[in-house]
Amino acid sequence: MSGYLEGVLVLLAVNIVFAYGAFLPVAAGQLNLGLAGFGAIGAYASAFLSNAYGVTPILAIMLGGIAAGLIALVVAVPVLRTRGIYLALATFALGQIVQATLLNLEVVGGAAGYPVTAFIRLPTIALFAASVVVVVALLFATRFGIAVTAVHDDERVADLMGLDVRAFQIAAFTLGSIIAGIGGGLYAHHFSFIEAQYFNIGLSITVVLYVLLGGTQTVLGPLIGAGVFTLLPEILRGSANWRYVLFAAAVIVLMALRPQGLLTGEQIRRLLGLDRHGIGPSDAAREPAA
Amino acid sequence: MIHEQPILRLDSVTKRFGGMTAIDDLSFDVRRGSRTALIGPNGAGKTTVFNIVTGAVPIDSGRVFVDAVDISRMPSRRRITHGVARSFQNVRLMPHLTTLENVMVGQHCRNAGPFGVLQPVNLWPRNRWRDAARAAIAEAGLERYAGATVKNLPYGVQKRVEVVRAMMARPRLLLLDEPAAGLNSAETESLQDLLERICANGGVTLLVVEHDMHFVGALCDAVVVLDFGRKIAEGTPAEIRANPRVQEIYLGTAVTDATERRHAARSA
Amino acid sequence: MLGQQIINGLMLGSVYAMVAVALTLSIGVLNFLNFSIPGLFMIAGMSTWALIHAGTPWPLAILAALAITTAVSLVVERFTWRWLRGAEHFVPLVSSMAFLLMFEHLAIAWWGSEMRVLPPLFAGTDWRIAGFVISLPQLAGLAVSLASIWGLSRLLKRTNLGRGLRTIAEDSDTALLLGIDVGRVVPIVFALAGLFAAIAGVLFALNYRQVQPFMGEAVGLKGISAMIVGGMGNTWGAIAGGLIIGIAEVLSVGYVGANFVDISVFGLLLLILFVRPTGLFAGLSAGRSGV
Repeated sequence: MSGYLEGVLVLLAVNIVFAYGAFLPVAAGQLNLGLAGFGAIGAYASAFLSNAYGVTPILAIMLGGIAAGLIALVVAVPVLRTRGIYLALATFALGQIVQATLLNLEVVGGAAGYPVTAFIRLPTIALFAASVVVVVALLFATRFGIAVTAVHDDERVADLMGLDVRAFQIAAFTLGSIIAGIGGGLYAHHFSFIEAQYFNIGLSITVVLYVLLGGTQTVLGPLIGAGVFTLLPEILRGSANWRYVLFAAAVIVLMALRPQGLLTGEQIRRLLGLDRHGIGPSDAAREPAA
Repeated sequence: MIHEQPILRLDSVTKRFGGMTAIDDLSFDVRRGSRTALIGPNGAGKTTVFNIVTGAVPIDSGRVFVDAVDISRMPSRRRITHGVARSFQNVRLMPHLTTLENVMVGQHCRNAGPFGVLQPVNLWPRNRWRDAARAAIAEAGLERYAGATVKNLPYGVQKRVEVVRAMMARPRLLLLDEPAAGLNSAETESLQDLLERICANGGVTLLVVEHDMHFVGALCDAVVVLDFGRKIAEGTPAEIRANPRVQEIYLGTAVTDATERRHAARSA
Repeated sequence: MLGQQIINGLMLGSVYAMVAVALTLSIGVLNFLNFSIPGLFMIAGMSTWALIHAGTPWPLAILAALAITTAVSLVVERFTWRWLRGAEHFVPLVSSMAFLLMFEHLAIAWWGSEMRVLPPLFAGTDWRIAGFVISLPQLAGLAVSLASIWGLSRLLKRTNLGRGLRTIAEDSDTALLLGIDVGRVVPIVFALAGLFAAIAGVLFALNYRQVQPFMGEAVGLKGISAMIVGGMGNTWGAIAGGLIIGIAEVLSVGYVGANFVDISVFGLLLLILFVRPTGLFAGLSAGRSGV
């Protein structure tokens, strides 16, 4: 496999992981604008563990994810008391704080960045990405998936139906942050160098945008979003800046025309022949009078 | 004795929204196993009563008892577990879920907790919760819509799905907010059928807000009349129909005008 | 020393206040967090530099920058709001984020990513008052900010437009019933927000003389902090918040070190969100706190 192809696939895998990190809270109706901050926590924590304590990268990355999750839990519990905009703003603030803190943390390099000695390759990274996809897909095949979508669709009625709305929102947010932390750890251990400047609001916004592009109503949406975001520019070539401009323009147009994203659950169901709704005038006339 | 206790009791309940009193010192009972209608003109406070019983809004004073338990301060989330389920005036199904999944949301209160939540209900083709939901949908005659995303379904179908969803919680008290509104006659018949079957053995008490007096007459055995947040009358449908105060409210000024004209003519 | 820092803080604070006002208008009237505003801030600042760099006399450059930015804001309106009423509630927010990203990368594509420096236009115009130094741009900045805010407040209270805006903030359905032409008013909100963001960008460029494509993230986003810290969700609250954040930032640099500025500013935001989350936006959808 050529170095170039491996590089693209690694990027795809990491982007997929970040995508699911953003997807979980969005599926529950929340926006995590501090996603990059949780990625940074995962990246720096795992890098520190493998650099300073020789922890094997796979374990370090998982621990980094857990570290990100713990911070997420601490933030989510007080802030999820009210509307989602507060969480979005608090996550935004948190992301900025994390970035600023890491910029000044000399023990992990500060503004000069932090080199990472341990190195992982595509198979490991792909395995992590695949595991994340499988775990999230399985999770959404449980009652958790139905509950989270219910909370997303109608908090008040979900509450009246007995769902603990807060708990599901916190769970989705924390899980998403753990996954983002894992993404950060993967990034750190492949690109061998991390700097706080990379984990900025722009990164959070970019990930959220390509998740929304892919479609948030189905658990496969983030795959599409990450795929389009990573692979299309490779096909189109051109400078990195114009790729972002085109990507942003595509999102704006998509939001205007098809806000539910490229892939929806409904579409999948119809493709698989499971959505037999086909209600037309003749069907309505044949309403059973039972 | 326990089985003579009303399933629902409102005891001097008052609810104000800003300067407006929606419910004013309201007290009434709903007999266990009955099918009670809650009627009154628009703005009489009927939906507010529902919101109070389900806990969607807190009360200012008074108490609410469900099955002899004071639920006045019970969090809304727990009331469904306590046996109170409702349907909504404007259909409030989860638009991104299928009919089947919406109905399964109704099961949630019986399958909560970590093991319940992690049940792989959508993984294998067979799963007892999913099968139970499917059966309920079939019993309502809606099985052809089971896999459809609800936002595309006809209004009449959605309204009936809501009733099935509420039933999945196995409530003791089922609150239905204008269940027949917007339904054509075939759908109304279908709904009535469904409700009769639900109440067949008296396990579920119905409290129905309705404007369709025909529907009320056919289905209900007790009626409570509200106006301006106060109870005006209660009794059997026949008693209510004959009640002059109720007639006045519904027929409005037509009756009072005619009476006044007669008085004027007599004294002229 | 402290007094001087407070003056500097007021200057920075008025920049934040302008951005905060722009954000508050969007959130108060339209109920969405307009992420394109930090991008508009950057466009104004960098356009000012680009025009002056190309030889335009500075008064013209300023006016052009204000005009360009306001026009861009109207473009944003077309793509975040005009087509999207009634769509999913997050769409305007998401589109505004996409615009921020787009503006940043367009700026890099056109002007490169390095920091650009404006020539010292007002050298030698410092005033010394009671031992404090105030430069002309600083004074002008404060004056312009105050004048703009006063003007806005008059607009909101005294004109039909203002009444329309406040009614929409209360309840957009009521506004429609009352015959308020929402379709005409919304672009005005965007134009006003764009104008305030532009004033902030121009003031920043003239006072600090350094602009770069990410200045929206570095500076503009602190306007969000200002908007919330100031609380109340109304324009005067936004100003108070801006000045507080500005002074806090300058004092942080002086006493705690430049490294901790961002931590302080966003830490304060986080703290406020923890402690008084409902109080701050109590009137968000109901518009009770007013615009």
